[in-house]
Amino acid sequence: METTKTLKTEKPEKYDEKSLKGTIVSVGFVAAVIVVMWVAVFWIYMERV
Amino acid sequence: MEQSLRETIHENPKKILGVNSQDAKVSLSYLTVAFVSLLIGGILGLVQGLERAGLIQLPSWLNYYQVLTAHGLLLLVVFTATFSIGYLYANLSHALGGLLPKVRKLAWTGFVLMIIGVAMVVTMIVLNEASVLYTFYPPLAAHPIFYIGLVFVVLGIWACCFGVFINYRHWRKNHPGEVTPILAFFTMGVFVLWFFASLGVTIEVFTLIPWSMGLVETTNVMVARTLFWWFGHTLVNIWYLVAISAWYVFVPRIIGGRHFSDKLIRLVVILVVILNIPGGFHHQIIDPAISQSIKFLHVFMSLSIAVPSLMTAFAMFVVFERTGRRLGGKGLLGWLKKLPWGDVRFLAPMIAMISFIFGGAGGIVNTSNQLNQVIHNTMWVVGHFHITVGVSVVLTFFGICYWLIPHLSKRKLTPKMNKIGIIQTLIWTVGMIIMSGSMHIVGLLGDPRRTSDTTYGGHEAAASWVPFEMLFAVGATLLLIGVIIQVYAVFNMMFFAPKGNTEYPVAEPEDDETPTPMWTERWGLWIVLLLMVVAMAYVVPIVDMLLNAPPGSPPIRTW
Repeated sequence: METTKTLKTEKPEKYDEKSLKGTIVSVGFVAAVIVVMWVAVFWIYMERV
Repeated sequence: MEQSLRETIHENPKKILGVNSQDAKVSLSYLTVAFVSLLIGGILGLVQGLERAGLIQLPSWLNYYQVLTAHGLLLLVVFTATFSIGYLYANLSHALGGLLPKVRKLAWTGFVLMIIGVAMVVTMIVLNEASVLYTFYPPLAAHPIFYIGLVFVVLGIWACCFGVFINYRHWRKNHPGEVTPILAFFTMGVFVLWFFASLGVTIEVFTLIPWSMGLVETTNVMVARTLFWWFGHTLVNIWYLVAISAWYVFVPRIIGGRHFSDKLIRLVVILVVILNIPGGFHHQIIDPAISQSIKFLHVFMSLSIAVPSLMTAFAMFVVFERTGRRLGGKGLLGWLKKLPWGDVRFLAPMIAMISFIFGGAGGIVNTSNQLNQVIHNTMWVVGHFHITVGVSVVLTFFGICYWLIPHLSKRKLTPKMNKIGIIQTLIWTVGMIIMSGSMHIVGLLGDPRRTSDTTYGGHEAAASWVPFEMLFAVGATLLLIGVIIQVYAVFNMMFFAPKGNTEYPVAEPEDDETPTPMWTERWGLWIVLLLMVVAMAYVVPIVDMLLNAPPGSPPIRTW
C-alpha cells in the first residue's frame, strides 16, 4: 500500500501552473463557433441561390 | 519622511485612494441618467416585443415606430454614452490622480448639453414628429428640433472628449518618459474614436437640418447613409472598447490574477482605434451605388476588426487559465472551476465575454457579402445586436456597477446585494438567450425587422414566424424584470447600502513583464493612421456618390 501511495505522489503532474493547454482548447472552441456559424449560413445562401 | 500628496500623485497615482468626491459626483450624475434611460428604454422594449407578438395593440396615440425609435435612441445612444462617460471619467480620475478643475467643468458642460439635447429629441419622438428609427437617416424626415437636439448631444460628447484630451496632455507634460496608466490609455482610445466617429454623423445632421426645414428640397440619401454608418458602426466598437477595458483591467484583479500583457492590451486599443471606422460599410453591403471592387475592400477592412477581438479572446483565456491553475485548478479545464462564479463582479462580465464568442461570430457572418444577403434586414440583425450590445457590453456595464458605484458613493457591496446581482445576471442571460436566440433563427427564416405587422395576410411562411415572435415577448418580459432589478441595485448602492470603502480593483502586470515601450504613446501617429484608413475606405465611394448622384430625395414622413 505504502509503495502505491509513493508512486502516486511521485507521478509528475501533467499540467503545471504555466500550462496553457486549456487556452488552446478554448481558442479552438472560438474558432469552431466561427467556422460552424459561417458554414451554416453560407449553406443556407447556397440553398437559396 | 512622509511624502506629500503631490509627490505621491506624481510617483504613483495608483496609490491614491480612487476617485475624489468632486469627480465622483460627475460620474454618479452620468450613471444616474444612464439607469433612468435604461428603465424607460427597457419598458419600451417590452411594449415593442408584446406588440410584435400580437399580444397587445398600442393605443391610437402611440405607434410601433415611435416606440422603436425611442427604445433605440434611449438605450443605444443615451444609456451607453452616459454610462461610458461616467465610468471612463472615474477611471481617468483614479488613474491620473484626479481631474483638472477645467476638465471637471467640461464634463459638467457636456452633461448639461446632453440633457438639453436628449430632452429635445425625446420631446419630438413623444409628439410623433420623429418616428425615424434609431438610425435616423433619410429619406425618413423628422422635425428639425429632433436633429438640433442630436447636435446638442454631439456637442456634449465633444466637451467630454476635449476634457479627456486636456487631462491627458497635462499628465503627459508632467510625466516625461512614463507610460500612461492603462486606464487612462483606454480612456484616450475611446474618446479619440468617439471624436472621429462623430464627425461623420455631424456632417450628416447639418445637411438634414435645412432639408427638414424645407430650405433645400432634396438630400443625397447615399451620402447620408454612408456618413451615418461611419458613426453607427464605430459607436458599436466604442462600447466594445469600454467593455474590454473592464475585461482586461478589472476582471483579472477580481479573480485574484494579473494582466496578461500590458503591451498586448495597448496594441489592441491602438488597432481598434485605427481600423474601426470603415467597418461601417458592411451595413451598406447590399446598397446600390457602391461598386463590387469597393465592397470587396470594405469586407476586408471590416473583417480586420476581428483581429484585436481574437487577440482579446486569447489574452483573457490565458488570464483565466493562469489564475485558475495558481488557485489549484488541475487537468485540461479544471481551472475553470476555480474561478469565482459566485461573485457578480466576475460572473456578469464573464457571461458577457462568452456571449461575445457568438456575437463576434455573427458579426463575421454579417460582414461577408453573400451571407449578408441571407440575413440582411431580418430579425437576425436584431438578435445580433441584442447579443453583442445587450449582453457583451451591457452585462459588462452591469458587472462594473457592483464595485464602481459603491466606490463612488463610499459604500459597500453586501453579500445580499451580490446575491441579487447574481440573480439579475442569470435572469438577464436566460431572457437574452430566449429573445436573441429566437430572433437569430426566425431571421434565417426571413422574418423582417423594423416591421410592426408581419402577418402578410396569413401567408404560410409568415405563420411559421409566430412561435418565435411569442418567444421575443417571453424574453423581453424576463429582460424587463432584469432591468428593474438592476435599476434597484444601482440606486440602492448609490444611496442606501452600508457606508464603507470599496476597492477600485485595478490588476497589476505579471512580475516578469518587460516595460511597455514608449512608442505606444504616439497618439498623433495613431490618429494619422486612422485618417489614412478612413481616406482609403471613404474617398472613392463618396466622390462617386457625389459626382454620379442619383436624384435627391425630398423629406418623407411615413407615419
